[in-house]
Amino acid sequence: MPKFIVNYVKVIDYLSTKFGRLAMYLIFVMIATLLINAFTRNIINLPLSWCIEMAQFTMTAYYIVGGPYSMQLDSHVRMDLLYSRFSPKNRARLDSFTAIFLVVYLVCLLIGAISSTMYAIEYDQRKFSQWNPSMIPIKVIMVFGIFLMLLQAISTFFKDLAKSRGIELS
Amino acid sequence: MSYETIAIFMFVSMLLMLLTGQRVFAAIGIVSSVAALLLWGDGAVEMPFNAAFKLFNWYPLLTLPLFIYMGYVLAESGIADDLYAMFHVWFGGLRGGLAVGTILLMVVISAMNGLSVAGMAIGATIALPEMLKRGYDKIMITGVIQSGSSLGILVPPSVVLVLYGMIARQPVGQLWLAGAIPGLMMATLLIIYIVVRCHFQPHLGPTVAQSERDMPMSEKLKLLRAGITPFLIFFFMTGLFIMGITSLVESSAVGATAATIAALVRKRLNRKVMEETIRKTLAISCMFMWVILAALGFGAVFDGIGAARAIESLFITNWNLTPWEVLIMMQLSYLVMGMFLDDTAMLVIVAPLYVPLVKLLGFDPIWYGVLYTITCQIAYMTPPFGYNLFLMRAMAPPEITLMDIYRSIIPFVMVMTFALVLVMVFPQIALWLPEYVYSK
Repeated sequence: MPKFIVNYVKVIDYLSTKFGRLAMYLIFVMIATLLINAFTRNIINLPLSWCIEMAQFTMTAYYIVGGPYSMQLDSHVRMDLLYSRFSPKNRARLDSFTAIFLVVYLVCLLIGAISSTMYAIEYDQRKFSQWNPSMIPIKVIMVFGIFLMLLQAISTFFKDLAKSRGIELS
Repeated sequence: MSYETIAIFMFVSMLLMLLTGQRVFAAIGIVSSVAALLLWGDGAVEMPFNAAFKLFNWYPLLTLPLFIYMGYVLAESGIADDLYAMFHVWFGGLRGGLAVGTILLMVVISAMNGLSVAGMAIGATIALPEMLKRGYDKIMITGVIQSGSSLGILVPPSVVLVLYGMIARQPVGQLWLAGAIPGLMMATLLIIYIVVRCHFQPHLGPTVAQSERDMPMSEKLKLLRAGITPFLIFFFMTGLFIMGITSLVESSAVGATAATIAALVRKRLNRKVMEETIRKTLAISCMFMWVILAALGFGAVFDGIGAARAIESLFITNWNLTPWEVLIMMQLSYLVMGMFLDDTAMLVIVAPLYVPLVKLLGFDPIWYGVLYTITCQIAYMTPPFGYNLFLMRAMAPPEITLMDIYRSIIPFVMVMTFALVLVMVFPQIALWLPEYVYSK
């Protein structure tokens, strides 16, 4: 494998892990936001309008930015009726071929995300609600997460390609 | 090409893509992206991404990561160990008693969590080694754990019913209550099956030695204290929600906190366990969320070509079926598709097609939600594609082969199908409780 591919895999895997592990802690942010809401409404009788929306934003960031790391952990399910019967090497061969599905889908997602973000920036899009937050931050986070997912998919492709030739990357 | 043909073509290509063993979300996502581009041109390139905002607006889905987190914390908390010790002593004298205890344990876990993940994790770490050690037959053990843990999505709280409630626009509170009695009934049927089968074939589930169970009554009663914590968690989570004090998503946050506190009090949480718990939570949540994201994109394309109307005209106009025949066809088709397709994706793609039909035929959507969930439970267990099956395979020790797992679920699936038929024939099993609570 050429040196730059090895380096690419190393850098992307490192980035996915770092950001994924950051996203991992957002679960506590979600719990805390929702608890605050339940508490203020019932105990001090102060309904907060932003809590649910904040939790929605957090959840979106959680699974989009966490996606690449979960792909690295290989936790995305597969239908393994046939797949489980192949040798690890053949699985890697098949994966490096079908990676094209993954990449094309992610490219479609990325194009949609970028155009949606451009729109939000151009018209200063806000969520229609009492809190009325700007949609720009979450969309930028989503573009970033999907882009990282794409980079991770390509890194996974290189790893499968190497494995199908009997080399282990990372 | 007619729209029916396009719909069938999309379904078949999705199946073929899934067969390659590529990640499920990618297989579904690519079919919907390509179909959208072919049908509507360049402008449709944004369709897959727009699904992310549909998901965003389905905020009750916040319960999903929270229940997953809670499930893992419960598995670590040691609550299940105490419960198991209690059932061990109380039911050990019965043939198949540990299996009965496992089902009861699963009912308690199900009442605290809305997914089957928690039950599976607890079943595989506590109940499975214990039953293996006592000489239970392998084909008994895995079936008990799989069917028992699947109760997690029927007994309230239930994430599947939350998803269904979003798709069918039905109140989650009523749906949850509707699942309660059918869930308990199914647990009872499973227990009856175990007791009867082990009575005639004692080698499947031998009794626990007398010496282990021999303790004074006061000791036995003390063991019942194991039930206190689960009851408190259930009360704070589902109880406060049904009483209208906390909202749905808040109640799942309350449940997650209660489980964390219970685990902290028992000193079961350290840095390492916590780190592992939130990492597994992220991995499983992302897995579900990305599948739902892709499936919503797929559903949007189906919506665009009017697949719901196509199915309606197929069943009602072309085949001339009566409402009941349509209902049975829907359940059967769901079971068959559930064997080969991803179960969560199925729910997101197929429910929007079926629910309008159910309403059109004059059936109660709350009742159908329960039928749907039971069908889902069965789909989760049936090979070759089932989440519980995957989890079981991943968690079971090597001496349990895939064939053992497949063989063991057959009788349990039959019992569950019987429960499904009962709820179909007697809708009041599901509807009595929500009607009673909400009519007051």
